[in-house]
Amino acid sequence: MKQTITLPIFVILSLFWGCSLQKGEENMVLLPVADDPTISFRILFKVGSQNDPRGKEGLAALTAAMITNGATKTRSYEAILDLLYPMAAYINSQVDKEMTVIYGRVHRDNLDDYYALLKEVLFEPAFDEKDFQRVKSNFLNYVQRTLRYADDEELGKEVLYEFIFQGTPYQHLEEGHVKSLQSITLEEVKNFYRTYYTRENVLIGLGGGFEASFPERMKADFAVLPAGNPPAVPPPQPRPFEGLHVRIVEKAARATAISFGYPIGVTRGSREFYALALATSWLGEHRNSSSHLYQVIREKRGLNYGDYAYIEHFPNGGRRQFPPTNIARRQQIFQIWIRPVPNEARLFAFRAALRELQKLVDNGMSREEFELTRKFLKNYILHFAPTTMMKLGYAMDDVFYGIKGHHLEIFRKMMDELTLQEVNQAIKTYFQYRNIKAVFVTADGQALKQALVNNTPSPIQYPTPKPAEILEEDQEIAAYPLRVKPEHVEIIPVDRVFED
Amino acid sequence: MADRGDSAFFPYQYETYDLPNGLRAILIPMSGSGLVAYYSIVRTGSRDEVEPGRTGFAHFFEHMMFRGTKRYPAEVYDRLVTEMGADANAYTTDDYTCYYLVVSRENLERVMDLESDRFQNLAYDELSFKTEAGAVYGEYRKSRVNPWAVLYEALLNTAFDRHTYKHTTIGFEEDIQKMPTGYQYSRRFFKRFYRPDNVVLLIVGDIDVEATKKLIDRYYGQWEKGYVPPDIPPEPGQKKERFKEVTYPGKTLPIVAVAYKGDAFDPTNKMIAAAYLLGNLAFGQTSEIYKKLVIREQKVQFIQSDFGFHRDPKLLTIFSMVKKEEDIPYVRQEIDRTVRRFRNQLVEAEQLEREKKHTRYSFLMGLDTPDHVASRLARWIALTADLRAVDQLHANMAQLTPEDIRAAAQRYFVKAQRTVIILKGEQ
Repeated sequence: MKQTITLPIFVILSLFWGCSLQKGEENMVLLPVADDPTISFRILFKVGSQNDPRGKEGLAALTAAMITNGATKTRSYEAILDLLYPMAAYINSQVDKEMTVIYGRVHRDNLDDYYALLKEVLFEPAFDEKDFQRVKSNFLNYVQRTLRYADDEELGKEVLYEFIFQGTPYQHLEEGHVKSLQSITLEEVKNFYRTYYTRENVLIGLGGGFEASFPERMKADFAVLPAGNPPAVPPPQPRPFEGLHVRIVEKAARATAISFGYPIGVTRGSREFYALALATSWLGEHRNSSSHLYQVIREKRGLNYGDYAYIEHFPNGGRRQFPPTNIARRQQIFQIWIRPVPNEARLFAFRAALRELQKLVDNGMSREEFELTRKFLKNYILHFAPTTMMKLGYAMDDVFYGIKGHHLEIFRKMMDELTLQEVNQAIKTYFQYRNIKAVFVTADGQALKQALVNNTPSPIQYPTPKPAEILEEDQEIAAYPLRVKPEHVEIIPVDRVFED
Repeated sequence: MADRGDSAFFPYQYETYDLPNGLRAILIPMSGSGLVAYYSIVRTGSRDEVEPGRTGFAHFFEHMMFRGTKRYPAEVYDRLVTEMGADANAYTTDDYTCYYLVVSRENLERVMDLESDRFQNLAYDELSFKTEAGAVYGEYRKSRVNPWAVLYEALLNTAFDRHTYKHTTIGFEEDIQKMPTGYQYSRRFFKRFYRPDNVVLLIVGDIDVEATKKLIDRYYGQWEKGYVPPDIPPEPGQKKERFKEVTYPGKTLPIVAVAYKGDAFDPTNKMIAAAYLLGNLAFGQTSEIYKKLVIREQKVQFIQSDFGFHRDPKLLTIFSMVKKEEDIPYVRQEIDRTVRRFRNQLVEAEQLEREKKHTRYSFLMGLDTPDHVASRLARWIALTADLRAVDQLHANMAQLTPEDIRAAAQRYFVKAQRTVIILKGEQ
């Protein structure tokens, strides 16, 4: 073996807090990484689905998709694909409640061509009628078929968000509803673009191996965006509710997907947030066998594929291990996700999860659980932003949350600083199990409704033997009291969900 | 480090280290991140499920690998992995099973201790075996609502008669239901496949190569060889086109799948490299048919190809989601027309160069973290146990001419070796 190791083309980037992140410019977040041969762009506009006019739900998302999946004034969409393809580069969009981000990454060999195209896409979208038909048809297919039929777990979660945020600007699915999508015109897309894609409304994110003069060039280029300071949307104020409220999405399902939660008044940056993040990680770290709920429902009982808990939005959890960035929100929900269980075990699994939440609220975490979880998180957080693109996204979210410093860095530091007492206090203050909204995607909604309303015990039968202590605990779970008023249970056929 | 010459495509230096018991380790140092991606690649997947009634077993067994050993029972293993804050998981495919942990570099020895222990000394009782079968059934249930799962199962089942590629990795439902009865079989499965001569370690990241080799000697040196390859029945040549229509119990736009029989992966085989490019040239995002059907006529939601690599001859498949059922015959005609064109005409040299450039940048840009490098390489390693395959295939690809692409189209786009599946929604 030779002693010299040649420098690879790609050198791993230093950790987030090791990078010289610059937030000097008012509307720019820079993350220079000299030895990264690629350049990452994240162009964030402070507009999201909360800005959709009533009856035009989906307009923000359609507008962004028209920008990244349509022609520019000088180039057809076909020509754009032809240009991007040899570079293996992309320009994509992502729309959440509060923000829209147009993002992409390119090798520095191809920077000039790519950047010229990116400007065209952003500043001179053609909003072509044929592109509009294509993009809109994709959206409708997603809502009418993919979400309603092909992914019950994501369906359950999206219905839960609508249920909890009812009556607020966060109320609707970002992609919109069938009727609202059908009603949106191309003229409305153009107007939306003119109103929100403005100089005052943009945050430019640039990361990777760009040259020192590049940010200035971008700043000058972005001056072509029109002026305009669209009015801010007031923070969502979810309606308070009492008791257990249930929305059953009825379909011919062989297994039941369950999600439940409630609005939680804590966001990233505060000490309490990190205390709750620790507790949530113990209760249900996303797709991790360290999750307590996973241990109770999957590992010991084999009822499903996994069970997790969240205090921040985590879209498409079934397809990713770590959360995406630039989905920052002023209002989050606490949420438990129970992956599909056999229909006959749906009430048992729900009771089991609710009971574990109650135990956490009533008893707090033990010293041992606390120590293990903080040790876990201190290292696990290192996996959240391994790439320039992810680091850049986190840095931009720091701007949104007004965090001084970097969220992930603070997160790690907090794992050293927080005390068990603080964590248990935060649990007492913010976690609860009495006022909950729950969504079941399942068959035979009436039977479930009756069982919920009558607090019918839900004993479980396993196809295989279980140890005595499990069977004993099962009896308690099966009889765990549920207090549900009949008027708090609604059954919606799946084809009515996201319709009007 | 092996001297790979100036023409090497793969951008990192690496070392291949073989133990006398047949275990191979591929070590790729990438300094700076402080992280190490530790991949244990078992060259066994659903392809190896030769016994009747055991489809899905390789995947089920992957779950059992988390059920502990005498030294590190499951809860201890879980606690130690949790303490490290590892990004840890596993997955199973047709051709291999992969276990990975991404950890801070100071945890490398602990990972090696844990992984070498469970690969040599796995011990679980029948109760936990039966319970885990429930989790596997849950995984099946959550995936089954997706029309692609229904389509893919039908495609494999129709296209293959004898080879184990006939079933999907998750397996047939009736076999999943029977899994709890397979405890004794699972012990034999472990002894048969989890052997050093059937496993490759892929370790990427902040490592000292010499020190890592010493650790491999210490932790894996005693592992007894003994892998006996299963007798996988070869698939007889297909003589006639096959067709099947399947129903998805939900709403979906119709999906058309057109699949041709391919060849086993061999990085030195020009036709394999040409077929890979052919898939994108003919049906990729900048292909004529894509522009016509997706963008201009908007007859389909999308069209794409999967001309991926497999250990044995599998399928080169074109998928398209069609907007209106009445357009299915038209879409099939357009696919046929594209196939004929590539069989009969030469692709433009410039288009071919663009395809090569795309493939090159696409591969290289994905190699930006230890985990991304390891995950991108896993299949290559599983198929060949040799990282040279990356350089070989790309060198091979760089030489391809329009005539080679046409030759690949003529070799693979053969009607008698085609399977067509149409999936429609129930309602």
